[in-house]
Amino acid sequence: MHLNKKSLLAVAGAMIAGGVAMNADEARADMASGLAMANTCAGCHGTDGMANGPAMPNIAGQPANYLIPVMKEFRSGERYSTIMGRIAKGYSDAEIEALSKAVAGWKWTGGAENPKLAMKTGETIAMVKPALAAEGEKLAKEMKCTKCHEDGGKSTEDDMPRVAGQHLDYLLFKMEDYKDEALKMPQPKKMKKRMDKASAKELEAISHFWAANK
Amino acid sequence: MSKLTRRSFVKAAGGVAAVGLAGCGAASPSIAGNKAQVIVVGGGYGGATAAKYIKKADPNVSVILIEQNKHYYSCPLSNPVLVGMRDLEVQKWGYEGLKKHGITVVHETVTGVDTGAKKVTTAGGVFSYDKLVLSPGVSFNYDAIEGYDEAATKTMTHAWKAGPQTAILRDQIDAMKDGGTMVLVAPPNPFRCPPGPYERASLIAHYFKTKKPKSKLIVLDPKDKFSKFGLFQSGWEKLGYKGKYLEWVPAGEGGKVTRVDPKTNTVYTEMDEFKADVVNVIPPQKAGKVAFLAGVANDKGWCPIDFKTFESTMAKDVYVIGDSSAAAGLPKSGYAANSEAKVAAAAIIASLQGKPAPMPTYVNTCYSILAPNYGISVALVSTLKDGKITKLSGGLSPMEATPAFRHQEALYAESWYQAIMNDTFA
Repeated sequence: MHLNKKSLLAVAGAMIAGGVAMNADEARADMASGLAMANTCAGCHGTDGMANGPAMPNIAGQPANYLIPVMKEFRSGERYSTIMGRIAKGYSDAEIEALSKAVAGWKWTGGAENPKLAMKTGETIAMVKPALAAEGEKLAKEMKCTKCHEDGGKSTEDDMPRVAGQHLDYLLFKMEDYKDEALKMPQPKKMKKRMDKASAKELEAISHFWAANK
Repeated sequence: MSKLTRRSFVKAAGGVAAVGLAGCGAASPSIAGNKAQVIVVGGGYGGATAAKYIKKADPNVSVILIEQNKHYYSCPLSNPVLVGMRDLEVQKWGYEGLKKHGITVVHETVTGVDTGAKKVTTAGGVFSYDKLVLSPGVSFNYDAIEGYDEAATKTMTHAWKAGPQTAILRDQIDAMKDGGTMVLVAPPNPFRCPPGPYERASLIAHYFKTKKPKSKLIVLDPKDKFSKFGLFQSGWEKLGYKGKYLEWVPAGEGGKVTRVDPKTNTVYTEMDEFKADVVNVIPPQKAGKVAFLAGVANDKGWCPIDFKTFESTMAKDVYVIGDSSAAAGLPKSGYAANSEAKVAAAAIIASLQGKPAPMPTYVNTCYSILAPNYGISVALVSTLKDGKITKLSGGLSPMEATPAFRHQEALYAESWYQAIMNDTFA
């Protein structure tokens, strides 16, 4: 399934229409349980969905029209992941819908950096380079990324995930994943065409732009 | 302070908050109303999360967290500290974040819990509660290995509660000569952080391989298998640790330790003895001390609970979360404690409002680092089915994974740490 808006809406619509849970899972699909389920995400994605970096995506306020199909793609394995596939399999359609709505209701709060990240760690953590971010801003326009990722990547219209202000290592990982033919990452046709053309260097610059644009 | 009704106690607690812990009995203008009072004992992954999420769900509930230490050192990711990959300071968290949520934090040692009268006693006073959350972590069985008592931990560290013990072991490993031998004594099940001893072994092997290549670590284990077994075994092979820098001796091959001699740094198994330069003993474990004070631990040393709410089956209105709980189906991990805390918080709020507890969701994700940029994980999503905690999904990282995959998981481990510590303490 490619995530163009039209097919996505059709899928979401079908899910809402057909989302009458017929099993015991229904007990976890109400509003209170949606929030209870969403709260368990905080151990990796941060309290109320604002992650503290360096490689974890913020999920606060991402639109349900994005979260619901993505969770289902994780669950089916259509969307490559290291761990999310293993987790998503624990949720029914109705539960995915309930927890996605709770996550969508959280507010994106700017993604403050954790000062502890600046301290010594065993891992290599990418830091935003302003010059590279400036180059990325130009590239994002030239390559028409900002045509859909409107408002400098801040848009959450319809099924559009916010990419601006995401943690840099997360963006770099995702760009690698999208470029890796073997992973067959689901993405809109136009996006795939542009990603195929882009060099790794260009995608790195665009990642720096998204990360810097808080 | 004595003979506290709920009302006068709330006054006192308000006073504590107002005057910045000048003392429990501090007189002050009362905060209005007859608020429900929740006491949380133990400010680690479980207790701190419970305090925060109760307050988050209902700011009108008065929450007091009693924790004897001013700072908390995270055990997760303290293994990298032992080999100089990480500063101990990064593991240190305070309670300012929780105070900002309106939680009163009292740094005192609990000396008594009366679950009949619903009172908790510390040196500073008596605290009445409507609901009590106990999250006291683990304590050690010092009578299990001959010669290994509390005094022995000064030289033969456990380093299984992060902080000063972590620093001692780090310095011992640092000071060890190249060509030295280290012994790690693994604990029997159940214990805090099932993959922890093996992550520790991996990182020490990595340290020897890169810094002291004539040295060796021997892991003596009273078990024949452990968490993430295949992933660790294959990692030890791939990373070139196995045999050369790291030798794991399972129970079946005489790994069970019966005695130690701290004076000579010698470890005895049923058939062998190991004299080492550095000895790290992770002792057998049971529920934290406060669980025994409260009388909520069973004869096996752990606290039985209702799996839907984490309320003790031995005392009403007492919720036991984290490593102390006998939560069959969940590991004794930081993430599980955080998840259990949220379930208990939701159940407590529902109960105070006279509503039924919501259906619980339990999640655990746990990363282990075997070398820089080499991470593995296990995940678990579970819920309540037929009165038991039942797995819905989860599992291990694949045995065959690309270096990119292992690199991502190592960085997700760091991300996990940042997120969960902020979720717990900020």
